Amino acid sequence: MYTKVVHMALFKEEELDHAAESITRLRLLGVQDKDISVISGIPFSEKILDRPMSWTNVGRIGIAGAVLGFIASLLFNFGTPFLYPLRVADMPIFFPIPTSIVVTFELTMLGLLISTFIGVFVETISPSFGPNGYHPKVSDGHIAVLFSGPILLDQQFHTTFEELGATLEHDVEEEKLWL
Amino acid sequence: MAAETKLFGKLKTAEQEHEDPKEQLMFDPRPREELNRMVMEMMTTTTKKFWLWAIGLGVGVVVLLFGAWGYMISTGMWVTGLRRPIFWGVFIVTFVFWIGISHAGTFVSAILRVFKAEFRRPFTRAAELMTTFGLAAGALYPLIHLGRVWVFYFMIPYPNARWLWVNFRSPLVWDLLAITTYLLSSTIYLYLPLVPDLAMARDRTTGIRHSAYKILALGWRGTEAEWFRLRKAIQIFAFAIIPVMFSVHTIVAWDFAVSQVAGWHSTIFGPYFIIGAILSGVSAVVTILYILRSTLKHMDYFLRPEHFDALGKLILVFSMAWAYFFFNDYLLGWYGGEAAVRQILTLHATGPAAWVWYLMLICNMAVPWLTLWNRKIRRTPWLMFIITLTINVGMFAERYTIVPLTLGHQRTPFDWGVYTPQPVEISIVLGTFCLFTFLYLITSRLIPMVPVWEVQEGQVAHTLRKIGKAEVPTVTELD
Repeated sequence: MYTKVVHMALFKEEELDHAAESITRLRLLGVQDKDISVISGIPFSEKILDRPMSWTNVGRIGIAGAVLGFIASLLFNFGTPFLYPLRVADMPIFFPIPTSIVVTFELTMLGLLISTFIGVFVETISPSFGPNGYHPKVSDGHIAVLFSGPILLDQQFHTTFEELGATLEHDVEEEKLWL
Repeated sequence: MAAETKLFGKLKTAEQEHEDPKEQLMFDPRPREELNRMVMEMMTTTTKKFWLWAIGLGVGVVVLLFGAWGYMISTGMWVTGLRRPIFWGVFIVTFVFWIGISHAGTFVSAILRVFKAEFRRPFTRAAELMTTFGLAAGALYPLIHLGRVWVFYFMIPYPNARWLWVNFRSPLVWDLLAITTYLLSSTIYLYLPLVPDLAMARDRTTGIRHSAYKILALGWRGTEAEWFRLRKAIQIFAFAIIPVMFSVHTIVAWDFAVSQVAGWHSTIFGPYFIIGAILSGVSAVVTILYILRSTLKHMDYFLRPEHFDALGKLILVFSMAWAYFFFNDYLLGWYGGEAAVRQILTLHATGPAAWVWYLMLICNMAVPWLTLWNRKIRRTPWLMFIITLTINVGMFAERYTIVPLTLGHQRTPFDWGVYTPQPVEISIVLGTFCLFTFLYLITSRLIPMVPVWEVQEGQVAHTLRKIGKAEVPTVTELD
């Protein structure tokens, strides 16, 4: 068993190719994908960086919210006329179609959109897997490759990243960025 | 020999006709560090003039809006010009106006995002902010118009001792639901793409600002998972908010159209209102962009003639679409044979308030059609400012024609009337304009007004590619 330390390699914004290459070389050195994380100031697709696809439940949470909104709208549209019958002109009390479509649409969309946001919020504040760490230069356009690997390979990491023109930082502490 | 074209009698070479790509924001990249610095300077630079405006507008909100509203509540609605037969006046006109303005953000940001219109990048946030504050100003009007504002809670559905339930078949309740949905979703839609920029601001500030950005940035680092999640959420929002936007103004139109009032009972009112809303919204975006460009430091780097040009084309198209819907509504009303409708249409064009009707036509059709076909005009920001301001005057006149001018001449001639807005109403209307401007002004110093990451993403994606002898602008899809 060996100790793993989180390293951070910082590439300048125009050195995206080198950042992608460094990931390939890390793999060759035996670092697994789950031990690598890339942070950047703009989004790059997984294909550009040759990284495994990320996943998120935001879409599913959104759909669940839409279903809840839909059910709430059914209760409002069809449940409340039974509880509080209110006759308006010749409109039927217990069959509020097509007017109920408007309420159904609005509440379904409200459920979808709010729960999508809740999904983003919950996933963002949840603990993340993989190496943590941050550098303010990332929001200045730098690309940071974070990885955890055995101390024994330190020299090789150094050589690799020096060749690629990156600045390497060791033992990156997880900075508290939120509450 | 270079190809030549003739315009206004002057010969122009092909090289002169095509602008240098470097004039476009996407082909004039700067390092991210510099972009961040420019945006941060925008946020933190305040002059004496800024504070004078902020204080003036703040006083305007307190006195003109809340002062007049308080006075109206304490004395009663008789201080307004609302009399039989006209019970919907300038409050409803301004309500429709603000809801219309609020369509700008969604249209400019969501629809252009869905269709990947690259020119949207630097001003999506300015437009989204307009949506949120336009809705906030508009949402006040149903409350103001209630008169007895303290009974607003009657609209909220909950079991109560009154033994009355909200009538979900009423368009007024639909309005409440639609505006609430739109306000919440457009605020979230403003916030989501803001998170990476708030993180950027967090990294560059200290003290209370740093603490605030730290909370609002939700610990953003820019990991692959965070970007993936953000892109997914923005995608969901961009698609879902479009039908919500359409529903909001359709429902506002149904407030009128589901009634039996002559001149309102029209099946085309929904789309007619939507087109009008988009026309006024996009025009208002141009007006705001000009003000931002003239007042915010470095904004002239981000907002360029190309952006005014692109929005000018959109305005021209929507002005024509508005004219089409207007004529459609007008012609069928006129042809329909109902005496009351024909009487209203005649009075609109020949009555004592005919100037409002002609103002509407001149501002919404004549002005844009005579000017916006010209590229040079579209690329001159101050001219675009005047044109778009004129269009919104026209759109206000349109709503005025639809509401009090139509209500005053219904089917029973003995019950005709004239509406004159009273000082208290004018004060409240001016007060909401102050509120909108005040909120916008203050927010421009609190959040990055330019989505820096989106601009940089665009600049990375745009390149000049050599094809034959020419360098052709190309765009790569990074996602």
